Amino acid sequence: MATVAPGVPTGPYHAVLDHIHPEPTSFIRKYIFSIDAKVIGMQYFITGAIFFVIAGLLAEIIRTQLLSPHGAILSAATYNSVYSMHGSAMVWFVVIPLLTGAFGNFVMPMQIGARDVAFPWLNLVAFWLFPVAGVILFSSFLVGAPDAGWTEYPPISLQGPLGTNLWCIAVFLIGISSTMTGINFMVTIYKMRAPGMTFTRMPLFVWGQFATTPLLFIATTALGAALAALFIERVFGVPFYDPKRGGSPVLWQHMFWFYSHPAVYIMIIPGFGIISEVLPTFARKPIFGYKMIAFSSVAISLLSFSVWAHHMFTSGMVPWLQLPFMIITMVIAIPTGVKIFSWMATLWGGSINWKTPALYATGFLITFTYGGLTGFFLAAVPADYHEHGTYFVVAHFHYVLYGGSIMSMFAGIYYWWPKMTGRMYNEKLGQLQFWLTFIGFNATFTPMHWLGLLGMPRRVATYDPQFQFWNQFASISSYVMALGTVLFFYILFDSLRNGKKAGPNPWGARTLEWMVSSPPPYYNFKKIPAVLAAPYDFGNPLPYLGLDAAPGATEATPTSASHPVPTY
Amino acid sequence: MAVSVAVHGHGPDDHGGHDDDIIYQETRDMRLMGFVLFLVSDVVLFSSYIFAYIYLRNSIQPTWPPIVDGHQLPRLDTAFAAFNSVVLFGSGVTMHFALESWKHANKPRFNTFMWLTIFLGLGFLGGQGYEYAHAQIGGWSGNIFGASFFTLTGMHGIHVFLGVCFLFALWIQTQRGVYTEHRFFGLTAGTLYWHFVDVIWVVLFFLFYLW
Amino acid sequence: MDLATIEKVVAFIGALVVFTFALIGLKGEWHKKGLDDNVTKVLLGLMAFGCVLVVLASFGVLPRGGGGA
Ligand code: HEM
Ligand SMILES: [Cu+2]
Repeated sequence: MATVAPGVPTGPYHAVLDHIHPEPTSFIRKYIFSIDAKVIGMQYFITGAIFFVIAGLLAEIIRTQLLSPHGAILSAATYNSVYSMHGSAMVWFVVIPLLTGAFGNFVMPMQIGARDVAFPWLNLVAFWLFPVAGVILFSSFLVGAPDAGWTEYPPISLQGPLGTNLWCIAVFLIGISSTMTGINFMVTIYKMRAPGMTFTRMPLFVWGQFATTPLLFIATTALGAALAALFIERVFGVPFYDPKRGGSPVLWQHMFWFYSHPAVYIMIIPGFGIISEVLPTFARKPIFGYKMIAFSSVAISLLSFSVWAHHMFTSGMVPWLQLPFMIITMVIAIPTGVKIFSWMATLWGGSINWKTPALYATGFLITFTYGGLTGFFLAAVPADYHEHGTYFVVAHFHYVLYGGSIMSMFAGIYYWWPKMTGRMYNEKLGQLQFWLTFIGFNATFTPMHWLGLLGMPRRVATYDPQFQFWNQFASISSYVMALGTVLFFYILFDSLRNGKKAGPNPWGARTLEWMVSSPPPYYNFKKIPAVLAAPYDFGNPLPYLGLDAAPGATEATPTSASHPVPTY
Repeated sequence: MAVSVAVHGHGPDDHGGHDDDIIYQETRDMRLMGFVLFLVSDVVLFSSYIFAYIYLRNSIQPTWPPIVDGHQLPRLDTAFAAFNSVVLFGSGVTMHFALESWKHANKPRFNTFMWLTIFLGLGFLGGQGYEYAHAQIGGWSGNIFGASFFTLTGMHGIHVFLGVCFLFALWIQTQRGVYTEHRFFGLTAGTLYWHFVDVIWVVLFFLFYLW
Repeated sequence: MDLATIEKVVAFIGALVVFTFALIGLKGEWHKKGLDDNVTKVLLGLMAFGCVLVVLASFGVLPRGGGGA
């Protein structure tokens, strides 16, 4: 055992961190059933991208239908299935797995200076549930896809086609996968940080993942319970939700939103983390309000358990509960606002290097703030009576989900792409892609605000002719977005073939994943570094000791293929 | 040697001895934390259905058990349930002492307590079967009382059944010499799981039989 | 004595025994500090509480209005 540099606290967990297995050699163990978090992260990326394309095509079908007030292409029944599948796929099979499974697995272990997650085998199982569940979900098109929206409210979902059962199974399985990931990440972050990396020295992306974990393994279980009850009611006729038999449809709404409101924060808190990495790197300034950003993520995460009924103001819940739910919902806007101001202060006065990730992060600030504001409107009970069930809600959640979650993912992918592949992407095309997406997105969804305020209901295959102009405007703009997405995939493939070599740290970033080669070696670090400070002090020397270059440190060498220590 | 950091160089000859114990201890701590978090998430599963039960029950006040087709459903059999509950709680206590015996390296006592636990667990399951056969509340799919009762206790029964299998597997492992006096995380996990299943029953017992 | 009374008597005696041993177990755990020990304390305590419920049930204190069957 080597000596410890003076002043470096030795983390209690470095013995197990240091433990190394040899890299697998067979193709299957290396790329298919790998237990390496980075490979699993890439598998999540690829699978999620496939589902993103499918769900995106469904979205374009929706917009094409709405080119005409009478519905351009689909029957009303098919239209119902299309938007239900679009929403379900985007929420559970794109945004959640990408932000947690993909980014979390690829980036988080490296950022805390670990070689892998705490339970690599659990990670493997969690990943493989994802494509299996996805195939089950999409195969419901063969037997009649679910048609009651992604929220599948009873009693409509009780009468829905056979595919609704498959929907239950698929979402249940992906929920198990989320739960596993949540437990795995929490233990990893809690126990496996490099020596010296105290909680307040963790990168903010790690904070984002950490704040998300309780949502993953607590809220998701409630969804599983609701889904199982819906399934057994549909299959075995056990009454839970059917009002004719003494059940209650509002019960479903409670159970569903007890999960799904926390779930919207599963879909945004890791995105906050990405933005908090990208902004200081490209503004070349320390992040403003490190602790406030870190702790507000935790505050949002905990508060999010207590606001679910703001989705149910018009569902006939007891009136005296509306006021508290309205107030707590608005209280969440405070930690969210703290973050927004911290990010703006980070940009303020920085010499911003406008690379694509920085553009996306700034675009995120604009669109996400906008979505947060409309959320505030919706949280006000009297306003919600007017807005609920209209396109205003659609506009709100696309501003936070596309303008927030998806834009943060674009930022993150451009940012970490050189690390994943070792190659740069084409910067000019990247910027063009940003503008196509940003303009296309805003042009698609801004008009929905006023369509909604004028009373255009969501989830209907046709609409009143007075709404035609803005619907056509939105549809055509959505094709611009689609073009941006196609360009995005072109850029990635182009980079794989023609991209310049990136080198370990093309952005001059300071978190640990940039301290190793690109793509990173199998065990991330030859030696586990020690951490002396939070990573954002641009201008000061790097706060790490014992990186590969440090003289005299012993290298960890692989021991044996099987675990040498009996750990039963 | 210049500045270098707390790095254990694991050479091939490094096995056994002190490091080995540290690695075991750290791995065990991580597994324990993961297992406890799993139990937390399982608590939420039960809580969700408990919430559903309370919600449905309140939605049709003031009559509980409900009146179905003009016919007042009877209450469940409290006396038998009290008896059966003691069987399950007893198994929790025997399991606790099984683990204690293992920690004190008293293998014969461990075996006795382990088998007592398994038999009491099976006894509880048998009691559940008897209860199911005699409950006159219209079956699983008849009404919301049957729906919540059979779903919750059935889910609990599945947990008990899996718990018995878990304990049996653990016992086989002990016979094969997998665990030592100092390394027995499996037994710790099994005990926690079994306690958890018992405690869920405390709540269910109250909600269905005493409320 | 009918079946229900026998069940109640057995339940009552059993609950006393189990309660006692749960407390003994709890006492043994009390000074231990590990995560598993702390969780065990809570769970054993709740199990002892379960025994109290059984005692109340065997005396017919709960459920109010008397049990079924
Ligand atoms: C300042 C923060 C936010 C507030 C105050 C807020 C408030 C609300 C309210 C009150 C509704 C219910 C509208 C209705 O159905 O009548 C709603 C819907 C929704 N929100 Fe937010 N929200 C906020 C942020 C977010 C974020 C960050 C996300 C996701 C990343 C999100 C995703 C959604 C979704 C998906 C729905 C619609 C669900 C549906 O009915 O299909 N919201 N929001
Ligand atoms: Cu919400």
